[in-house]
Amino acid sequence: MSSYYSPSALLTDAQKVPCTFTLTVPGLGYLDATPEADLASGTKVSLPLWLGEMLAISQNLSTSSLVKLDFPPALSERVLNALKADPRTVDLRQQAANFYALGIRMLDLFEHEEMGEVLTETFKTRAASIADQAHNPRGALGEGADFLRGLDESERELFKAAHDSSKAVRTWMAEISKK
Amino acid sequence: MALPLPPSLTPQEVAFLCEMELVTIIPRQKLQGLELLGGSTPVLNPPQRSDIPLWLALLLKRQRRANIVPPAWLHPTSLTAILEFETEHSKEAFSPPPKLPPLSDALHATSPPFLPSSTAEAPPDALPYHWLEMGEILLEAAPEDFEEPDHVRRLMRDLREVRMAKLRTGVEVLDAGGGVKMNGVGAMEIAEARAFIGGVIDGLRKIGASREQARREREAEERENGFLGTQDDEDDDMEL
Repeated sequence: MSSYYSPSALLTDAQKVPCTFTLTVPGLGYLDATPEADLASGTKVSLPLWLGEMLAISQNLSTSSLVKLDFPPALSERVLNALKADPRTVDLRQQAANFYALGIRMLDLFEHEEMGEVLTETFKTRAASIADQAHNPRGALGEGADFLRGLDESERELFKAAHDSSKAVRTWMAEISKK
Repeated sequence: MALPLPPSLTPQEVAFLCEMELVTIIPRQKLQGLELLGGSTPVLNPPQRSDIPLWLALLLKRQRRANIVPPAWLHPTSLTAILEFETEHSKEAFSPPPKLPPLSDALHATSPPFLPSSTAEAPPDALPYHWLEMGEILLEAAPEDFEEPDHVRRLMRDLREVRMAKLRTGVEVLDAGGGVKMNGVGAMEIAEARAFIGGVIDGLRKIGASREQARREREAEERENGFLGTQDDEDDDMEL
C-alpha cells in the first residue's frame, strides 16, 4: 500500500496510535514505564502505527488479537467536528504532520464512512484556499500565514507545486520582455 | 524526485510550440520562398500580406523587414467582449474555443498549428489554444503594430486572472469520479495548473481509495448473490 521509498510514508508509520493490550504480556512493562514488571491486560500504550497495526491485525492461536487499536487523537471526534464546522481554521500540522496519510491508513483499517467524507471535503476546501494563497504573492506573509503554517505535509507539496508553476510562468513572461 | 523539472511542459516549451503557429505579416522587403523541413514558406512580396510561422515572423520583425498584423481576437474590442463573456455570462465555464472549419477543410487541418488560429483572418470572438503565449510574445516583440498595446496588455492580464481563478475554484467541485470541464483552456494555462490539479486529484483518490475498495467488494458480493445477469465487465477492467 504505502511506498517503500517515500519518506512521508515512513514518517506516517512512525506516528503514535493508542493501543489497549487485551492480554497480559510478561516482561513488557517497560513500555508503560514500569520496568521489570509484566504488562497487564487492559493497559493503554501509545505504539507506532507500524507496530500497533501488526499487533492488532495478527491473531494468535486463541483467535483474539493482542492489542485493540483506537483512533489517534488527531482523528478524534473533536477534530472531525471542527473540520466539519470550518476546514480552513484547523491547524492540521499540530494534529499530525502527515494528517491525511494517517487518515488514509486508519480508513484502511476501520470502516468509517463519515471520516472518509469529512477528509475528502476538508481536502477539497483547503486545496482551493491553498491555490489562492500560492498565487497571491503577499499571501504567505499577511493574513494567510496562520493557515499556511497549519498545512500538513501533502498540502505543503500542493502549495509548492502551485507556487512553482505560477512562478515559472511569471519568469517566462519576464524573460521574453528582456529579449 | 530525481528530475528537477515538473511532469509537464515548462512555459518555455509551450512558447516554443506556439512559435509554429501561423501569423500574418506585411513584409517590407522581397523574400523568395524558403525550402524548410517543415515545408516551404510563401514568397514575400511587399506590400502583400502573407501567413508565415511565428518564429520566422519574429526574426523578420527583429530585422525590421516586416510588420506583424495582430490576430483579430487580440483587438481591444474582441478582448473586451470575451472578458465580458467570461465574467458576466458564463461564471463557471471558459469561453469556448474557436469553431472548427467546415468538414471539407477539416480533412486537412483539425487543430492548431495546422489550423490558422492566429492569422489576421482568425475568428475574432474566441481565444485559440495558444492565446496567452501568442499575445504575450506579440506584445513584447511588436508593440508598435498594435493600436493600443497598453490597453491590450491590461485586458490580457485581466483575462488571465479571471480564467486562472476559475481553474482554481474548479477543484472544489471535483470528486473521486467527478470532473471539471476544461474546454477552451489554453496551453499555457494547462501547463500552469497541471501540477496543482493533478496533486489534488491524486490526494482525493488516495483518501477515497479504501471507500472505493469497499464499494467494489460490496458490488462483487451482490453480483455473486444472484445478479449474474447484470454483470458488468467494464468494472473489472478498471481494477488495477
